[in-house]
Amino acid sequence: MTQWIRYTLPAAAIITAASPALAVSYLSIEEAQKQAFPQAHFTEVQAGRVWKAEAGGKVAGFFVFDRVIGKHLYIDYAVALTPAGAVHSVEILEYRESYGGDVRSQSWLSQFNGKTSASPLKINGDIRNISGATLSSTHITEGVKRILATYGGRLK
Amino acid sequence: MAAVSNKVRRTIRRARPLLGTFVEIEVDAVGAPSDAAVEAAFADVAEVHRLMSFHEADSDVSRLNRQAHARPVVVHAWTYQVLQAAIELERRSGGVFNIAVAPVLQAKGLLPCFDGDAAKAGRPPHNGIELLAGGAVRFRDPRVRIDLGGIAKGFAVDRACKALGRLGVASGIVNAGGDLLVFGNGPQTVHVRDPRDPRRLICSIALANEALASTARRFDPFQSDSTDHTAVIDPASGGPAEAFAGVTVRAPSCMIADALTKIVMIMGTGAGELLAHYAAGALLMSPDGDIQVTPNLSGAINRAA
Repeated sequence: MTQWIRYTLPAAAIITAASPALAVSYLSIEEAQKQAFPQAHFTEVQAGRVWKAEAGGKVAGFFVFDRVIGKHLYIDYAVALTPAGAVHSVEILEYRESYGGDVRSQSWLSQFNGKTSASPLKINGDIRNISGATLSSTHITEGVKRILATYGGRLK
Repeated sequence: MAAVSNKVRRTIRRARPLLGTFVEIEVDAVGAPSDAAVEAAFADVAEVHRLMSFHEADSDVSRLNRQAHARPVVVHAWTYQVLQAAIELERRSGGVFNIAVAPVLQAKGLLPCFDGDAAKAGRPPHNGIELLAGGAVRFRDPRVRIDLGGIAKGFAVDRACKALGRLGVASGIVNAGGDLLVFGNGPQTVHVRDPRDPRRLICSIALANEALASTARRFDPFQSDSTDHTAVIDPASGGPAEAFAGVTVRAPSCMIADALTKIVMIMGTGAGELLAHYAAGALLMSPDGDIQVTPNLSGAINRAA
């Protein structure tokens, strides 16, 4: 028989007070463009949203920036499309969670201003890795479908 | 701060939506080869997703569910490997771990139904999968429909770490929605979420060349983002495992850690011997916040990080 060790964990012993938000920055738009199409030159097709990637005088593909907003999730991501409009890759640029607040409010968003992909995730102190609940990526999947419906095969 | 601090270093940290969750890879960067290694690791995770998805019609899992009750179906070596581990876990847990649970999940609306499926609540068939030579698989019972949701994510994490190691990455961490493996120059500090309240962290655990996986009874912090697929069903009753709020397991591989979380959610402290067999440790939280930890994990836990 394994003897389990029992702890009682009163609320006060929990190591972080309720955090309203956390965020991780992975890549800037420019970094993600370079990852998706390493040798390419980018031309904006739709301001701040769609770029054409060209390399060696040929279209290498397209790069679409998007943002999904759930009730408490707010995620920047990018979809790289092949010249034919199929998904080449999907990359998360910024991941944010918020609890009990409105993620659409400017004040909530402003706390992330100036974050670069080098900024670590911060809750209280340096918390980089979390185990716990599986977070669903359903919103991203839906977003990619929407991007394919809007742009797939239509960009020239 | 008693926690192990992350020294300033150059790292690559990327995330992609895979396996229905966010898969994050962080490695010590040593130039361009690291980028290629991270790409290869994501490609292996995507391959596991392609092979083992319940939802995609041409995955190994879907082909098995359509055909394996009628004739043997040859699957990819990785799928075969996961099935081997699942069958061993089923045997060692006395049927508590059972990947033939899909019809119960379908009956609860947690998985979609396809042609020929009979969603059915109640006990899933025991010992219903037969592994044959040449990578072939047959179902002994026509009611068997498998779902690898309780084990494939961990396997994908293990594959990603193997790919990174093979391509020269000395250390890093792969985290698929909270199921993770730390390899190389450890230790790394991983914080564990309170399964009852995602805003809170209950402790931190130092890991080195070890995996950590967690399961919560009910976790719906985003409300609009369904995480119902993580539901753990007790095969004995066909109902959800409700005795515990959440479980965290440390094990040598993420596949084993992932699968053991489901078993411990159902068996509770009765899983002690099984955990010991797999050289694993567990932290178990009751709905009222009481925590129980196996002695082998106790020393790695920092409750005041």
